[in-house]
Amino acid sequence: MAQLISIDPVTRIEGHLRIDVEVEGGVVKDAWSSGTMFRGIEMLLKGKHPWDAQQVTERICGVCPLVHGTAASYNLDDATGVQLPDNARIIRNLCLGANFIQSHILHFYHLAALDYVDVTAVTKYEGKDPALLLLKDKITKLAGAGDVYPFLPRYDSDDYVSDPELATTLVSHYVQALEMRKKAQEMIAVFYGRMPSFVGTVPGGVTTPPTLSKITAFQARLQQLQQWIDEIYIQDILTVAGVQAYAPFLKAGDSGGNYLAYGGFDQNQSGTEKFFPRGIIYNNEIMNVKPVDKGKISESVKHSWYTEECEGLNPKQGRTDPELEKEGAYSFLKAPRYDGKPMEVGPLARQLIKKPTILVDLATKLGLLNPPVKFGILPRHAARAIEAKLVADEMSKWLDQLVPGGKIWDKKDIPGEAYGAGLVEGPRGALGHWIQIKGKKIGNYQAVVPTTWNASPRDKSDVRGPIETSLIGIPVPDVENPINVVRDVRSFDPCLACAIHIIHPEHNGVKSFRVI
Amino acid sequence: MTGKLVSRRRFLKQAGATTALLGLSEAMIPELARALQGLASGKPPVIWIQGQSCTGCSVSFLNANYPSVTELVLDKLSVRFHPNVMGGTGDAATGAIEATVKEKKGQYVLVVEGPIPTKEPDFCTFGLEKATKPFNGYQRRKDKPIYEWMKELVPDAAAVIANGNCASFGGIPMANASVTGATPVSKIVAEIDSKKPVINVGGCPSHPDWFIGTVLEALLFLGGKKSALNLDDNLRSKTFFGKLIHENCERRASFDAGLFLEDWNSQNPDMNLCMFKMGCKGPVTYADCPTRRWNSAVNWCVGANAPCHGCAEPTFYENLAPLYEPLPDVHFAGISPAVDTLGWVAAAGTAVGIGGHYVYKQLGKKPESESEGGEK
Repeated sequence: MAQLISIDPVTRIEGHLRIDVEVEGGVVKDAWSSGTMFRGIEMLLKGKHPWDAQQVTERICGVCPLVHGTAASYNLDDATGVQLPDNARIIRNLCLGANFIQSHILHFYHLAALDYVDVTAVTKYEGKDPALLLLKDKITKLAGAGDVYPFLPRYDSDDYVSDPELATTLVSHYVQALEMRKKAQEMIAVFYGRMPSFVGTVPGGVTTPPTLSKITAFQARLQQLQQWIDEIYIQDILTVAGVQAYAPFLKAGDSGGNYLAYGGFDQNQSGTEKFFPRGIIYNNEIMNVKPVDKGKISESVKHSWYTEECEGLNPKQGRTDPELEKEGAYSFLKAPRYDGKPMEVGPLARQLIKKPTILVDLATKLGLLNPPVKFGILPRHAARAIEAKLVADEMSKWLDQLVPGGKIWDKKDIPGEAYGAGLVEGPRGALGHWIQIKGKKIGNYQAVVPTTWNASPRDKSDVRGPIETSLIGIPVPDVENPINVVRDVRSFDPCLACAIHIIHPEHNGVKSFRVI
Repeated sequence: MTGKLVSRRRFLKQAGATTALLGLSEAMIPELARALQGLASGKPPVIWIQGQSCTGCSVSFLNANYPSVTELVLDKLSVRFHPNVMGGTGDAATGAIEATVKEKKGQYVLVVEGPIPTKEPDFCTFGLEKATKPFNGYQRRKDKPIYEWMKELVPDAAAVIANGNCASFGGIPMANASVTGATPVSKIVAEIDSKKPVINVGGCPSHPDWFIGTVLEALLFLGGKKSALNLDDNLRSKTFFGKLIHENCERRASFDAGLFLEDWNSQNPDMNLCMFKMGCKGPVTYADCPTRRWNSAVNWCVGANAPCHGCAEPTFYENLAPLYEPLPDVHFAGISPAVDTLGWVAAAGTAVGIGGHYVYKQLGKKPESESEGGEK
């Protein structure tokens, strides 16, 4: 008999996410994804000085402040007609790149790995590595005291990696990864002052000139990270992907085969050349990448708490009139669609569009390109690690392109009336900011974020969002311990604080709210 | 970071390093050693929940250096619930809260990140109620509002720590309070249990040292060392929030000399121009950023040639905007307020003038002409 399992809180993600799955015969038959926290950040921007958008929107999310702040800067650049100096473009790329590295390391080790590794297996370690013995000692003491928080309690499952040698090594990498992601944040602080909530980008450029001492401070950490990504991160991904019990997750968790990337890391001033290209893939036809037409983006609200009048609009004209008594609605997220189709965004989308050799080789080796072509939970993790490597390697070249003493800012006055758009790629995927400047102040501000694409509810044709689709068919042998459901959800690296936006374009207020 | 038994001498050393690095008083070393030793055996349970937060203060916590996050989370504290760190999910996760409330009544520290919405409880929920409602032919369990969690968790907490500016003072979400009713944690706690100690840690985000240091001071306080916790009027530890950024800024000499940055291209990196004209809120912000710095002391906001935005102040964001315009209302007795003339103004007079502005902002007053949306 089918039954509904509700999972809340989905921990080890950013924010407040609820997942409901209908399970029958040990597999997921249907799924619903709901965002459950609302602040209304853009509302408070109306009437503010346009420069404040960067500082306020980076507070949309403490995990992705760098991405929002960067998108907001490009948005203002666009609205005010900035010709971004090369130094500023490169420093923005370097800091965005450092953020990719810290975010991907954090995601795999601290958010996802506990779904795969049995921490308690560390107590059975019998090797002689002094560092691992220290770890064993520590965990053994915790277990002896009956206090293995915060690792336990957890979902029970018999397929955790429990080989003591391997588990202990992976847990020691979990600890190392804390230091590594910290170094990546320090790299951002070199140019941007601090993380989270940085201050180093402004409309028109950046604030810190690329002095030799800054470049060196950045480079020293980058080299350590490059080595760690190559020797540890990539290898751990291959290890986990090679665990026999996880073989089904190579293809299970496919989101439907549609992928979208805005592209990121501008390689020239106009942004026509990007390190991660822009593109669209339909139905897993990865050799057939199509160009992006921003006019084809629309947002459906049939199952979101917004009025019918908001249905099917492009974000540029976007309306977001809440209607919380709406029948059939179950999320604060809208359902963005491209050409009417749900789209997965993020590292997998970007790398399938870019198709670097390292990815193609790995996909071939793992049999991912054999029909039926599908990319599930593990390819999402692999794409993240590959991306961290590609970005880190490229960043050392970008550092060489900085010109100490060169221009870092193109000063422009705020126009009376203007529109702007800033499209970037963040660790979690395609991010767009839109601004309307009115009377030299912010008239309207909109952000369409990666998790809104991935965690969206059903659309007007009742087609599920990418995470919802990816859950169909996921095995749930034990309904009390739906570990595979959260393995799948976490593989998208959801960020809910980013995803929930409610703003009324005219009066900029919320009408009424439904109590759920 | 060893888990082995450690001598008292070693503990004193460790406590010394902690006090030095966190900037706590040297006089506290013996007490801190005792507290740390206590922590190693009977680790205080911590329940860390998130209201209308952005997780930024949790991410900042991960940047801690000494004690390290690993040490804190595994050796010093018993973190029963933290949404981003814990192994458990769903009922397994919230079950850990319920068990802690039962087993550790009166002993756990409740950390809250983000404010609490009061206009509609469902603006922020986590975990599930037992009660259900119909959904696609099923009975689906209802979302549990954070306010309900506060009502359950506050009465039996040893103390409540509001981590970060928006938990402490409402922060950015409170700038939209007319819609969500985002409310500082201290106000919610006062409604539930007016005697419960609440300690605020400012900052958007909070510096990991501010948070950890405040937790250590609070634990000493709870252990009977009342003098360990010295709070200001905003319930912040004076150890971290007792000094004006402007008075300790490495660029203070430039301010006094009237050397202001006005074009990010024109700077000589060695000149360290003052950020006042770019909107620096250092003159009205109490925090030790200039000396403590951020991210392993790599840098800080002014060090990046950017203005301080005053993110540690109760007035952030709404009453400090616009962020990139010089502080208004800076008056200097008998002297033109034009910033260009500041060079020859006595520094003391400057501080008094700016201090007046600070008090004015702290009172939360706005000119009549200023509308809710900040339009003039």
